[in-house]
Amino acid sequence: MNLIERAPIELLHWFLNLLGSFGVPQWILAIVSAVLIIGTVIGVFLGLFALMSVMERKILARAQNRYGPNRVGFFRWRLCGLFQPVADGIKMITKEDLVPRTADHVVHFLAPVVMLIPALLVLAILPYGRDMVPADLNAGILYFFAVGAGTEVAVFMAGWASNNKYSVLGGMRAIAQMISYEIPLVIAAIIAAMISGSLSLPAIVAAQGGFAWGFVPQWFVLTPWGFVACLLFYIAALAESNRSPFDLPEGESELVAGHLTEYSGFKYAIFFMAEYVGMFAVCGLLVTLFLGGWQAPLPFLVIVPSWCWFFGKVCFVAFTMVWVRATLPRLRIDHMLAFAWKFLLPMSFAAFLSAACWHYAGRGPLAWLLSLAIVGIPYLILGTAFSNRFAVSRRTYQFSE
Amino acid sequence: MTCPLCDILKTCCADPMKFLGDWFVLLPALVLLLAAGAAVVMRNLIHAALCLTLSFIALGIVFIALGAEFVGFVQLLVYVGAVAMVIVFAILLTKPERLTKSGSAFSGLGPAGGAAVGFVALVALLGFIFTSPLAKKPLPAPASAPVAAIGEALMGDYVVALIAIAVLLTAALVGAAVIAMEDKQP
Amino acid sequence: MTLQILLAISAILFAFGLAAVLSRSNSIMILIGIELMLGAANLNFITFWRFSENPSDLVGILFAIFSIAVAAAEAAVGLAIIILVHRRINSVEADDASNLKG
Repeated sequence: MNLIERAPIELLHWFLNLLGSFGVPQWILAIVSAVLIIGTVIGVFLGLFALMSVMERKILARAQNRYGPNRVGFFRWRLCGLFQPVADGIKMITKEDLVPRTADHVVHFLAPVVMLIPALLVLAILPYGRDMVPADLNAGILYFFAVGAGTEVAVFMAGWASNNKYSVLGGMRAIAQMISYEIPLVIAAIIAAMISGSLSLPAIVAAQGGFAWGFVPQWFVLTPWGFVACLLFYIAALAESNRSPFDLPEGESELVAGHLTEYSGFKYAIFFMAEYVGMFAVCGLLVTLFLGGWQAPLPFLVIVPSWCWFFGKVCFVAFTMVWVRATLPRLRIDHMLAFAWKFLLPMSFAAFLSAACWHYAGRGPLAWLLSLAIVGIPYLILGTAFSNRFAVSRRTYQFSE
Repeated sequence: MTCPLCDILKTCCADPMKFLGDWFVLLPALVLLLAAGAAVVMRNLIHAALCLTLSFIALGIVFIALGAEFVGFVQLLVYVGAVAMVIVFAILLTKPERLTKSGSAFSGLGPAGGAAVGFVALVALLGFIFTSPLAKKPLPAPASAPVAAIGEALMGDYVVALIAIAVLLTAALVGAAVIAMEDKQP
Repeated sequence: MTLQILLAISAILFAFGLAAVLSRSNSIMILIGIELMLGAANLNFITFWRFSENPSDLVGILFAIFSIAVAAAEAAVGLAIIILVHRRINSVEADDASNLKG
């Protein structure tokens, strides 16, 4: 249905033409257009954040054989508790905002702001549908990672300004984790950019278009190197967002709450929002780079609008992130850093080499086998080298006589 | 006799995008100078490091506004994401006293001496800048450096420099790790 | 927007960095000054690229990219040295590393 797919853009153009017919000058129209697009994107993602906060609790609860929040509704309708974000928002706003007396007030105040701004800025380059990207930058992926570097500054500011040993330790661990996992993240993204020949995200989505043999989508995740790169990106994205199993910096049983210890009320809500919006942004990037962006998986499914496919895929990836959180235990800090430097980094190089060989071997059947070997052999070697199978000896029992 | 303010308002209302075009560069440059000045003068080391981070961000935005977007993003990624974090980690690991208690934050030439030498250097540079005929250039048409062109140049004409930089970065990384490693007690 | 204004901004940034290197006692502050001077040089390169007659000649941009990479490497090594010196003499003040003073 071409009409539904083009609906948001046509609506915007109609409104701008309406304003133009009233004699509004061109530069005001440009500003109005920008404000409308930005407002729509931020509104959609804040709505997704609200929905995610309650859906995560319900999914985690179901995984743990209990119901999640299922009471909050309005006017006597329970609505399965989907109005919980409203209650959470009211709670966060009305909570007392405690700032320790010896904390650095300016830096303590600015840390949540500096955390939220990069998370919202990176939403500008994601292609939400066919021809629906707010800003088509020539160096889109580079913009994503450059702006994401601001998150590390915010984590440090939060950790140090609280003047609390738990916060400083938690902040330093969080920064070490983010820096360590940024390298596999960037290399996995560069693999997709290398094969597409461009750093611009709409070009990368377009490079995954078309159907091989008429019905198989040509997404990067369906190739050996793309599958490995997608997994690397996924794991590194979990670590960058401080989500379980990499949530040591903010787990309650470790270091109180790490760099978020001294934050309460609305500032904590902003950190919370920044983490979830960042998670959605990096899910969106994963979908764009490896899962084909707004492309439909089968030719006859092109009827469904492209932005529906994009948000459906993003929600699916977010669901798997919650699923992983429900399933896996938390990693210790030294295990976490060793995993990044000793396993993910060599695997990312192997995937890089595999993608290059796939391209230069002609993208034929031989190329597929070669790339599978280049990525599979290091995986087997690294996996057996770092497994504990040979470290645990046979269990012996000693009883007192 | 038209007042300058009316002139500014007239150009602003005629074509605001062109008027803003200059200020896209000059406003971040102003923030850059203020943040750099604050970073140099501050006594609290962490505040100085955060002001330095702000000046790096402003410098990156200036690069982007001048049309060199790739360099601007690389500046943000490398300086803000890596160099500023390394400086902050070093400050936290060496744990200097929170504020100056006994010693002063200035030494060597002292604040007056440092400012004097800086001022002399500034006057000399400004003298060269404003008297040189080479610097009286008008602004050319907006330039763009697409990433593809930068990539082809790096892999083509400047590949030796690229490989040299790669070796340098590897050596620096390994060297820094070796230097900062704790001596293992035998 | 003239070339002179941008060069003047870069000169002022360089002067700030120079003043920091010469007058501060903490070695990390000296390193901050060095980074400011390198940033000023990068701004000069990009400014001259912007104002050049053929901007398709990317020497200015490439030099700035290489300069950023070298500055990052230098900052890492410098801070590692500062941490090592701190471990020996338990101070980061540049005046306290005076063992070789005659």
